[in-house]
Amino acid sequence: METAKPRTLPLSKRGFNFETIMWIFTRITVIAMYGLILAGIVGALIVSAQTGANFADILYWAFFPNHTGNPIGAYIGMTFLAKLMVIAFVLVASGHGVHGVLEILDDYFTGAFARRWFRNIIIAYAIVANAIAIYVIWIS
Amino acid sequence: MGLKRNVSLSTALRYKGQGPFLSYILHRIGGSALFIFFTLYILVLAGVDSVNAIFSNWVFQIILLVLGLFHAINGLRITILDLSPKLIEHYRQAITIEWVAYALVCGFAIFVVLQNVLGG
Repeated sequence: METAKPRTLPLSKRGFNFETIMWIFTRITVIAMYGLILAGIVGALIVSAQTGANFADILYWAFFPNHTGNPIGAYIGMTFLAKLMVIAFVLVASGHGVHGVLEILDDYFTGAFARRWFRNIIIAYAIVANAIAIYVIWIS
Repeated sequence: MGLKRNVSLSTALRYKGQGPFLSYILHRIGGSALFIFFTLYILVLAGVDSVNAIFSNWVFQIILLVLGLFHAINGLRITILDLSPKLIEHYRQAITIEWVAYALVCGFAIFVVLQNVLGG
């Protein structure tokens, strides 16, 4: 079977343009998500073992704090950390997702007008969605 | 810059890209599904309680798991190959490993969902 030869260029020769920045952004956000998922699972397991709260209940409360009571409410520090982690996850997930959706839309809508408006709409959507998520997660 | 892609869906599906092309398409479909999931999640946070019924539906959960897990596992392969360019030579083997990992993880996830549905 024929195998592909790696074609790589150092960053300095690629040109530090918008595409490169977005490529780096996508990679950083996805690595951040993997890190947060891993830290979240390990953290929830530790908290579950320490407090006796159910692992699934902790995760459910962390992502849907306005739908269920806080199973670790007595532990202020852990509650604060969990909220920060979920907010961070929502932010990186939306950043990664918005860029991904734009990339798909750019492939199918090639007009400058359409591309500009999709960009405006989706960035506005991300700002509103993140504002709702941060507000609800933080105050619940 | 303009791209003209006058390719019908049936032509696209007959494309001989095989494994890598299938991964590419499924990655996009999975990403789009996760974006829809993200929107629904924001709606639940915003207080649209009717969306909760969708989240509780086991068919929705399985579809989300099948598409979302593929996106996550395929994304991990892409990230690893991006960060270690020397491994690109072995990208077909990487895709095979990815499918095995996906089958195991996805199979287990679907099993757990079905077990809950059946009251096990």
